[in-house]
Amino acid sequence: MTEVINEQVEKEKHIRGFGAMILSRTLDKKIITAQRQGRVGFYTPTMGQEAAQIGLSMALSKDDLLYEYYRDVPMMLHRGVPLEIILNQVFGNRDDLAKGRQMPSHLVARDYNFMSVPSPVATNLPLAVGTAFAKVYRHEPGIVVASFGDGSSSTPDFHSAMNMAAVFNLPVLFFCENNGLAISLPVEKQTKTEIWKKAEAYGMAGFKADGNNMVEMYKVAQQAVDHVRSGKGPALLEARCFRMGPHSTSDDPTKYESDIVQDGSDRDPIVVTQNALKAMGLINDQLVDKVKSESVRIVNEKFDQQEKIPAPDPETMFQDIYKNETWIIKEEKGEIL
Amino acid sequence: MNMVQAINSTLDMKMAADDSIILLGEDIGKDGGVFRVTDGLQSKYGQQRVIDTPLTELGIVGMAIGMAVYGLKPVPEIQFQDFIYTAMDQIINQMAKMRYRTAGKITVPLVLRTPYGGGIRGGLYHSQSGESYFVHTAGLTVVTPSNPYDAKGLLSASLDLGDPVIFLEPKKLYRFQKMDVPDEDYKVQIGKARKVREGDSITIITYGSMVPTVAAVVEKNKVDADVIDLITLSPLDIDAISASVKKTGRVMIVHEAPRTLGMGAEISAMISERMIEYLYAPILRVTGPDTPFPYRLEDTYLPNEKRIMDAVDKLLKFR
Ligand SMILES: Cc1ncc(C[n+]2csc(CCOP(=O)(O)OP(=O)(O)O)c2C)c(N)n1
Repeated sequence: MTEVINEQVEKEKHIRGFGAMILSRTLDKKIITAQRQGRVGFYTPTMGQEAAQIGLSMALSKDDLLYEYYRDVPMMLHRGVPLEIILNQVFGNRDDLAKGRQMPSHLVARDYNFMSVPSPVATNLPLAVGTAFAKVYRHEPGIVVASFGDGSSSTPDFHSAMNMAAVFNLPVLFFCENNGLAISLPVEKQTKTEIWKKAEAYGMAGFKADGNNMVEMYKVAQQAVDHVRSGKGPALLEARCFRMGPHSTSDDPTKYESDIVQDGSDRDPIVVTQNALKAMGLINDQLVDKVKSESVRIVNEKFDQQEKIPAPDPETMFQDIYKNETWIIKEEKGEIL
Repeated sequence: MNMVQAINSTLDMKMAADDSIILLGEDIGKDGGVFRVTDGLQSKYGQQRVIDTPLTELGIVGMAIGMAVYGLKPVPEIQFQDFIYTAMDQIINQMAKMRYRTAGKITVPLVLRTPYGGGIRGGLYHSQSGESYFVHTAGLTVVTPSNPYDAKGLLSASLDLGDPVIFLEPKKLYRFQKMDVPDEDYKVQIGKARKVREGDSITIITYGSMVPTVAAVVEKNKVDADVIDLITLSPLDIDAISASVKKTGRVMIVHEAPRTLGMGAEISAMISERMIEYLYAPILRVTGPDTPFPYRLEDTYLPNEKRIMDAVDKLLKFR
């Protein structure tokens, strides 16, 4: 009986994961188009990284905490962050949870256990170590996930965090989304080793996964998550995936890369995952069509709706700097407003 | 040409003449830099001289210092000044102190280029004006051009200085203006300010991205202002400041960086110490506020015509 139930749970998990991939792709395309039309200021597309992120997200539980990076919208959608929260941030409007202060793609959703992201890459990684310490200290369940790109593995922050997490045996899962590029630099010029292999040198477990196939990704991610959850210490999980477009809406990849994976092509993780799920008998064309059209409908609707929300009140610029407003800020506010 | 082209052509000219000049940084080679400042230089000078580095500011700056102490003249690029902070240890404790630590036996001739400031809707981490951090550090020379002509002459002078130079490029002005820039090598002297326009009633001291803003506001409102573009932030051109202040007796300082311990604070202290008897009014500062730099409210953050004119009126009316 429990086996039957488990099987049903797993089936639904896969279908839901695929649904989030489609929703995320739809949102991505909408924002990119809108950016070209001048309706959005900037964006870092996430296309090509959906299967990697959602495959991991499927292996996580509600108690787990995430230090995301700027391409983690698919994972956020999968963990239930509403489209409104994401779109408000992209517009930087009055209802944005961070009051329109950060560039688009820099999301915070604390209520969904996403800890926010600054632009300087990898700066979140040492924080993940400290938060994992706090979680253990407070006897709380759950692990801490810190995600980053391949380029970020070159930073001093990465080194310090990996070393300290291992030394203190903390429940941190370092999640490297290796899309093969850091803006223009190919990963082969970024580092002389495979990234997952660096784990050994720090004294932690390393895992490598096909981040292009949600089904395969989920299996390996589950092993990595189980390892960290069981108290055996941190782990490094590297997912191989693609950046299916420019680094950001300000970037022109034709300057440096001739092999950008095209939307809908054989290497597109949505196509790969779709084929895998079909082979497993979990989805059919009819379902795919339904999910796609429903995603387009909901994304268009929410986009138009959130776009109408005005900019934050200028006064908000002076808030949240200290717990108590200082006289200097009060005075400057008076001069400027 | 615009400022991007001026810097690019200066690097090109200098590299052709001096093969000890090496460029290094993130995405500066094949991609030509995210602002295209180093476009075409890797194909011309090769991967040995225009190096695409891994993503580590600490590594880039440290490596550049190591090159500079041993006969090379590196020009490291930090993609955005906002990302320089992991390299601050190298900058403050190595780059700035090498000459002193070794009593001049070892020196660090390099030019660290980095775009800074707002105006491109970059939010918290693509808009910072961190010049005070560098100016506060003995051993660093800090410069910032505000137009293509100065950019070329200043870069040329920086490369010949024989000391570490922090070369701050106001990214808002990268493509703001085109100017005739001479083909041949020339220098804009380090430590010398430039008079943007002459006037007798008020001195406005500014630099970087605020220079064209101040010039336009003054022009439009027919203010009889002496406008100074500092160009070099460290060491300051005290002679140029003194001459103007003694002439007008009314001074304001305009910059984008936050007010507290910004350039305005130092300049105002220098003026108070040396020539307070010439002043008819308090020294005023029009600056970015002491808040982080917001994305959507960028226009609220940046000093604008209204704020500049409010200060001008206050100074001129002060009796
Ligand atoms: C410390 C720092 N240096 C430089 C940058 C500019 N920058 C933004 S993204 C990026 C590349 C990051 O590559 P990677 O970590 O592989 O992530 P990806 O963008 O490929 O997802 C760079 C250099 C930055 N954000 N932070």
